[in-house]
Amino acid sequence: MAVKKIKILFAAFLLLIPSKSAFAEFSGWHGFLEGAFGGVVSQNDPAKHSNYNMAEERLQLKTQYNFQGENLLSRWQGVFRFKGDFTVDEYFAGRTDFELREANLSFTPAQLMDVKVGRQVLTWGTGDYLFINDVFPKDYVSFYMGRDDEYLKKPSDALKISLYPDLVNFDFIVIPLFTPNTMPDGNRLSFFDSFQGGISGNDPQRYLVEPGQEAKNFEYAGRLYRNFGSTEAAIYLFRGFDQIARSYKNEAARQLYYERQDVYGASLRGEFLGGIGNVEGAYLRSPEDPRGDNRLIENSSVRFMAGYEKDLGNDLRVGFQYYYEQMLEYAAYKRSLLPQDIAYDEYKHIITQRITKLFKNQTVKVSLFNFYSPSNNDGYLRFSVEYALTDQWKITSGVNIPWGAEDYTDFGQMKKNKNIFVRLRYGF
Amino acid sequence: MKKLTSMIAFLLAAGISYAYAQMSADQIAAKASHMAYYQGKDGRSYVKMVITDAQGRMRERQMTILRFNISDNGEQKYYVYFHRPSDVKGMSYIVWKHLGKDDDRWLYLPALDLVRRVAASDKRSSFAGTNFLYEDVSGRSVNLDNHELLSSDGDAYILKNTPKDADQVEFSYYKVWVDKKNFIPVKAEYYDKEGRLYRIVEATQVKDIQGYPTIVKMTARDLNSGSSTVADFTDVSYDIGINDSIFTERYLRNPPAQWIRG
Repeated sequence: MAVKKIKILFAAFLLLIPSKSAFAEFSGWHGFLEGAFGGVVSQNDPAKHSNYNMAEERLQLKTQYNFQGENLLSRWQGVFRFKGDFTVDEYFAGRTDFELREANLSFTPAQLMDVKVGRQVLTWGTGDYLFINDVFPKDYVSFYMGRDDEYLKKPSDALKISLYPDLVNFDFIVIPLFTPNTMPDGNRLSFFDSFQGGISGNDPQRYLVEPGQEAKNFEYAGRLYRNFGSTEAAIYLFRGFDQIARSYKNEAARQLYYERQDVYGASLRGEFLGGIGNVEGAYLRSPEDPRGDNRLIENSSVRFMAGYEKDLGNDLRVGFQYYYEQMLEYAAYKRSLLPQDIAYDEYKHIITQRITKLFKNQTVKVSLFNFYSPSNNDGYLRFSVEYALTDQWKITSGVNIPWGAEDYTDFGQMKKNKNIFVRLRYGF
Repeated sequence: MKKLTSMIAFLLAAGISYAYAQMSADQIAAKASHMAYYQGKDGRSYVKMVITDAQGRMRERQMTILRFNISDNGEQKYYVYFHRPSDVKGMSYIVWKHLGKDDDRWLYLPALDLVRRVAASDKRSSFAGTNFLYEDVSGRSVNLDNHELLSSDGDAYILKNTPKDADQVEFSYYKVWVDKKNFIPVKAEYYDKEGRLYRIVEATQVKDIQGYPTIVKMTARDLNSGSSTVADFTDVSYDIGINDSIFTERYLRNPPAQWIRG
């Protein structure tokens, strides 16, 4: 709570700095004001409010400061960036909040080196709404509710060092404070609760235990990448924790936790058959259950995807992806299960399709994205229409339709959260 | 003596204009392409585009464009940083322009820290929602069209350009007026498959910058929709020492501060 107060004070202090100051190094203040509403169209949504799942106002403010003068940070081309969201959430009786999305300093201390430290959004990898080597935190509640794509990514508190020698580029990231994914937990979006054995919107009284704040729990991520012509190749390494609490710390006490996870992956992306092709894969090792015989801890797995996107002309783009996931040590996993446990499949296949079309001098954007898993027999349709009325005003409306035969699969558990949303935004 | 000099001058002038008259349509097209897109080793400009639709509603785009030539009338690299409107502010865009195959394009979305590869086979699509097309911004390869000199009367050559592959483009041909003095293409008229004029791109102001004749104001008009875009180029400079390394993921994520102020 104290931290939150400090953040609000900090933001208020920044507001006092004149936006059109005499110093050219200040970018001034930008951002937007947005109102958003999402009505639930599923029957019997068990969440807190059964007829809507989004009703909020948001003020985003961002600025940047370019250090100028004779000091070290100026010589290093230092830039400070700030971005924060003030929100009023009618879903929770008008609760106000401040979310610090970015507060970081980036600088170039040597010709072939960049450093970025502080709160920042981190992304790499080649997928479109599918992530294998992008192990950085995400907010799937925002995703299913129909907030802007920006909110699918959560910021991390991290140090990022990038090196650019001729042969290969190198990113090294240290994340001292673990940030988990924001997953549906029954408060706003109903989900499958393994403790209650079904889709739940009640306070499930689960405890998600995060790794302790100790040096041994620092997360490390690395990427080596380079181009071969215009084809981009990358190798990824990660030592840290699963971003989703999938393993059981103490079943009786309803404690889930984020098990240790190591990821070794690679990707390629480049021109292919008149479009853009990408392939990406990884081996995810579960060091706490390497033999896969502990039913409480997630097994190791391999994941792979291939994608293709093509521009068909007239501002029409289509894309397809195939995603494959295989649980390793599956026989040991099956043997370890108790009779009442749900037995998840060894294989998971997901196919996605995207169509994006722009109309009216690119002021109208119509987008359709589909996830479909033949193995889980579930899927998720996302459709939206975005209209930029002016350079300042933009209205976005869409639907989120997750569906599935079972209650416990990725998309199937979200099936009571189907919604229609509308967002109106004023940018400045 | 004086007579002789003026006689020589006259003969020279006649000789030059004779030589120019003898320039083939291909040569004129190549020279015009050079003047419009390839002057200097590199260049920078701040571009403001104002789009006005048929109802008179206006929208604005502001960006810094950096350009780097790999070879004259050949491959180039472009870096575009968007300043306005606020929803695209901070986005950056890299194009590796190729001749004879699709360009490579990358877009950086700062809010997601995402470097997206952009599929870009259609160079005849709108640039950033304006009435300019990608090919107006980075140039259309002269090899894609057959050029024919319609007239060399008056101040300008008039070229008729017919695409070699008609299926790749929305026009049947376009005419270009090339200023005889400096070879700047000052006007282009596009005719659709039925032979109707539907699109006009015009250079309305040309200035000498560092010895390079430079278009500093341009208009693109779409006669079918009634919308038009005016582009103003300010802060233009050439040969500023941009190097190849700017057009990489490193600088996509961190815009080069010496040339671009976020």
